[in-house]
Amino acid sequence: MTRHDFLVKWGVYALALLPVWFLECYILARYPFYGIKPMLLPLAVVAVAVLEGASGGAGFGLGVGLLGTAVYYHTGGGFVVLMTLLGLGTGLLTQYVLRQDFLGCLLCSALSLGILDVTRILPRLLYQRESLEAMLRVAGGEILWSLVFTPLVYAIFLWVFRRVPKRTHF
Amino acid sequence: MKDFFRNNGGLILIIAVLLGCIIALTSALMGGFAHPLSNLVGIITTPVRNGINAVVEWTEARYEAAFRQSELEADYEQLKKDYAELEKELREAQSDAEENERLRNLLGLKEKRRELQFEAATVTAVVADNWDSALTISKGSDFGLEQGDCVVDEYGNLVGLIDQVGTNWSTVMTIVDSDLEMGGLIARTDTAGILEGSFELMGQGKLRLSYLPENSEFMAGDQVLTSGLSGLYPSDLVVGYIEEVRTDPSGMTRYAVVVPEADLSDLQQVFVITNFDIVE
Repeated sequence: MTRHDFLVKWGVYALALLPVWFLECYILARYPFYGIKPMLLPLAVVAVAVLEGASGGAGFGLGVGLLGTAVYYHTGGGFVVLMTLLGLGTGLLTQYVLRQDFLGCLLCSALSLGILDVTRILPRLLYQRESLEAMLRVAGGEILWSLVFTPLVYAIFLWVFRRVPKRTHF
Repeated sequence: MKDFFRNNGGLILIIAVLLGCIIALTSALMGGFAHPLSNLVGIITTPVRNGINAVVEWTEARYEAAFRQSELEADYEQLKKDYAELEKELREAQSDAEENERLRNLLGLKEKRRELQFEAATVTAVVADNWDSALTISKGSDFGLEQGDCVVDEYGNLVGLIDQVGTNWSTVMTIVDSDLEMGGLIARTDTAGILEGSFELMGQGKLRLSYLPENSEFMAGDQVLTSGLSGLYPSDLVVGYIEEVRTDPSGMTRYAVVVPEADLSDLQQVFVITNFDIVE
């Protein structure tokens, strides 16, 4: 893979991320479904990790983590590390345990969203007087509503994956 | 795993950890001001957000107009022609009237609360997150906004507090956010308590008034204001009204569920209180 191929490929992936980000932040955030807004950026990391494997997933996770840190509210540097690890974990899981297909993506998406919500629930449980039940209700709704968008996000990145030259696949 | 490390995976992980540490450190050092990465993206995306906001509002207005147009066409067969024309004119004037009303209300509020200094701002985005309740507005440190400034609607009802300030944008933590804590007062009895967001109530767009004195009297319908006792926030800003009184899970104390007076789901313009006189 030449440097040019590499740049074109990840440039196209970055462009594919834009409609996902736009949909999440400007459309779905304005019209919550029963008060719940879906999270699409982690789904994008999972989809790319399923298609590109651990290294590609970790690299894309790093980029999405930086974007998320800049645009999401109350995300510290931990979000960058978490997204990178989710990309790495998904890549490894689908390469060696599950399959690199939509079903693998769906399972890894559910797992990733679950991990993401655990990292949100734990600090609140430790430092605030919040009820676990109320937080689990929010997390459950968020995971389910986000998973509805998995086919769409996976389809976008699969479309990109099939169009980038095969020699650039990890 | 070997493939991963062969493909620079280890390097990616190290970079991610280093960036994470740098961002966390700068966030901690910057206090209420947005960290440089967030601020840079905010500066670049604020005009885009404003544009997107305008497009979405325009689309909504056209959709609503089209929807009402078909309604009017149905009515047209039943009502007189003059009536339909008046309706059309009214619809066209509605947008101007709404803006006029907002400005008149603000003028009235400014007359009533001379000790407050306002800075108008447009709501450009709603935070896409189920764990916080926040809005992004179109003004930042360029206009003298600071962390902790109160944000109100055109009637002077409290919307929230400025939580993060960028150069030309800010994030407002609304009063139902679970991280909010400020002094509140029941207007009828002058009973002071603590207004705090709660996860249980945030989804319903409500908050609670806790730490009320044991023998305090309060009931549904009582108006709740900011107390201003700490000196950090202005006093007598309308927060909302008590909807119901509940007992803590421990059974020891009671708290009031407060419904905000400001319509947090449909805000277009807000006013940031940049300065106020402290009432002793």
